[in-house]
Amino acid sequence: MTKRIFRSICLVALTVFLASVVLFMGVLYEYFSNVEQTQLKMQTTLAAQGVTNEGIDYFHDLKVKNYRISWIDTEGNVIFDSASDTAEMENHLEREEVREALSSGYGESKRYSATLMERSFYSAQKLDDGTVLRLSISQNSILTLLLGMTQPICIIFVIALILSIVLAIQVSKKIVKPLNEIDLDNPLSNEGYDELSPFLRRIDSQQRQLRGQKAELLQKENELNTIIGSMNEGMILLNQKGKIISINPAARKLLDAGTDCIGSDMLSLCRNLELQEILTKALHGERGENIIRLHGESYQIDADPITSENIVKGAALFFFNVTEKEKAEQIRREFTANVSHELKTPLHSISGYAELLKNDMVKENDKIPFAGKIYDEAGRMIRLVEDIISLSHLDEGADDMQRENIDLYTLAEKAVQSLEPQADTVCVALELSGVPAPLNGIPQLLYSVIYNLCDNAIKYNHENGKVMVNIQNENGMVVLSVEDTGIGIAPEHQERIFERFYRVDKSHSKAVGGTGLGLSIVKHAAKIHNAKVDVKSHVGKGTTVIVTFPK
Amino acid sequence: MRLKFDEQLDLLNKELITMGAFCENAIAMSAKALTEGNPVLAKAVPDLSVQIDHKEREIETMCLKLLLQQQPVAKDLRVVSSALKMVTDMARIGDQSADIAEIITLANIHATDDTQVIHDMSVAVIKMVTDSIDAFVKKDMQMAKAVIDYDDVVDSFFDKVKKMLIELFSKPETDGEYAIDLLMIAKYFERIGDHAVNIAKWVLFSITGNKEG
Repeated sequence: MTKRIFRSICLVALTVFLASVVLFMGVLYEYFSNVEQTQLKMQTTLAAQGVTNEGIDYFHDLKVKNYRISWIDTEGNVIFDSASDTAEMENHLEREEVREALSSGYGESKRYSATLMERSFYSAQKLDDGTVLRLSISQNSILTLLLGMTQPICIIFVIALILSIVLAIQVSKKIVKPLNEIDLDNPLSNEGYDELSPFLRRIDSQQRQLRGQKAELLQKENELNTIIGSMNEGMILLNQKGKIISINPAARKLLDAGTDCIGSDMLSLCRNLELQEILTKALHGERGENIIRLHGESYQIDADPITSENIVKGAALFFFNVTEKEKAEQIRREFTANVSHELKTPLHSISGYAELLKNDMVKENDKIPFAGKIYDEAGRMIRLVEDIISLSHLDEGADDMQRENIDLYTLAEKAVQSLEPQADTVCVALELSGVPAPLNGIPQLLYSVIYNLCDNAIKYNHENGKVMVNIQNENGMVVLSVEDTGIGIAPEHQERIFERFYRVDKSHSKAVGGTGLGLSIVKHAAKIHNAKVDVKSHVGKGTTVIVTFPK
Repeated sequence: MRLKFDEQLDLLNKELITMGAFCENAIAMSAKALTEGNPVLAKAVPDLSVQIDHKEREIETMCLKLLLQQQPVAKDLRVVSSALKMVTDMARIGDQSADIAEIITLANIHATDDTQVIHDMSVAVIKMVTDSIDAFVKKDMQMAKAVIDYDDVVDSFFDKVKKMLIELFSKPETDGEYAIDLLMIAKYFERIGDHAVNIAKWVLFSITGNKEG
């Protein structure tokens, strides 16, 4: 900007300067030349008169400074010359002014010297005797004048340059200032130049457009981040080189990674080779999944290639925690195996006894006990199947069972009564205490809760042990506790006793009897009533099971 | 030019981590086979060791190529040269895991109380190997130093094993071959620990440029 303005100013200044120099020089030079010529003519006339009057003597007194006077005879020979020796001078007849003077009485001419540095004016007059008197004067030529003026011209030139620079800087500053002061954030509020207003309006509209788009993008990003961030599943996005582009908090926590892991390689987060394998596969465009163990838990990992126009652009990794699922799967498998086993055992005895009877290999008086054994085993099977049915019923949520307002204490009385004979046979005292506790619930289930708990308390008891059933109302809750003085449950088993078919002591289960489903039924029945089951137990001292029902 | 070099360094880093993962797997498998007394598990380890050796050759070639073509200086040179040294230690870890596995396949070892202390030792050694590779991955000086210090723990485990074996030998009913196998396994674990220390030292060198010990 400054440069351009400087150049223009400079150019204008120099052009004007040069033009004026040329003009003045031309006009003035011409004017002075004319003046000089007129004077020369006058002097020539005066000198001619003098010569005519005095002859050659005129020259003796003559003191000439500026002029050169020559006297030429009719033949063209120089008789006198104020500047040079006459003898050496050539014939002047051919000189323009002489010739002119000879023919018309007066002649003039001007000639440049050989170097062009000087200009000479000549003026000649024919005297009465036919001779010619010539005066000449030299004058500096225009070029000499110019050369002489080089210094001032240069100085003016430099001054012009400096002035141009200063002016250019100032002007450009002045021009640029409003431009610099334009507030591009609020383009319309600017005054500055009118010429800029379409430009500013355009900027304004584009800015508004940009702001809108930015806000939209931000909102979308926020939405996405919120979704990804609150996901329980780990998610990692990788580019085609296997570098992490994005990782959600769940995955970061899972892989123990900091926020600086973006851009690093997946390998630096997790050196699991199986994971690496499916990731490599995904980066080659093939879906892969595998279950790997991290921090003692099982994770199913899905690796999906991200393709666009059939080119793999990256991969997405998803981590699903399948520990619970695997556990459930295992429990289901165990359950099936256990059920078949539990059903098979009584069936074996039944079929064995039945075979003996069929082949008539049983003595007459043994037949009744044999039939009794078959009956007992069948009964056990029936109980088992009933338990399984009620469990699967409970699994379904027991929707078809009617809730009634009942008194838990009355139910407990019934259960205790029916278990009394069993308790007597193993010499265990069964006691019921507490207060009536009205409760809204499913009577069959509540009964089986009390029944199963008491049944276990009797079974896993010492001889002459005690079972105390207590029912209380506490803070709007009904609390059922079944306390025994039995063998107790070791802490490592306490969590698992509610699992189906789980037995603390697997070798004695047959002797004790039972299906291994009792506590499982208790757990499910309690769950349906939103009740909480707590187990407190010390090995060798006894167990207390407390079931808290909300009213 | 630098871009390509960076890419190559990146690849080198990746390959080293992969090799480290192989080593971790090999030693973990050997230790598991030992703890469970399961010779079948151990049979897979020599294959892994072969894979590790292949990786070693690969990485060596890669390092030499980098040295030749890029003529790295300063930190890059340290990274490449320490990689060249680290693979040797990693390969040794793989070999020694395979050696342990081989002893287990001979089926003289069965899980008893005697192997418990060796099991504890193997856990300590696996931790060292994992941490040394973690230190490399994270360029973590603190972690590398911790690995070097942790070698004392492994050494004390080795002493314990020795004492236990001396006791074992003094009993007349001891199966001599079994006891010697245990000793060798313990020695291999101890050596693996030393290699992990070496790796940690090279990690330190690649970060600081100071070569200790």
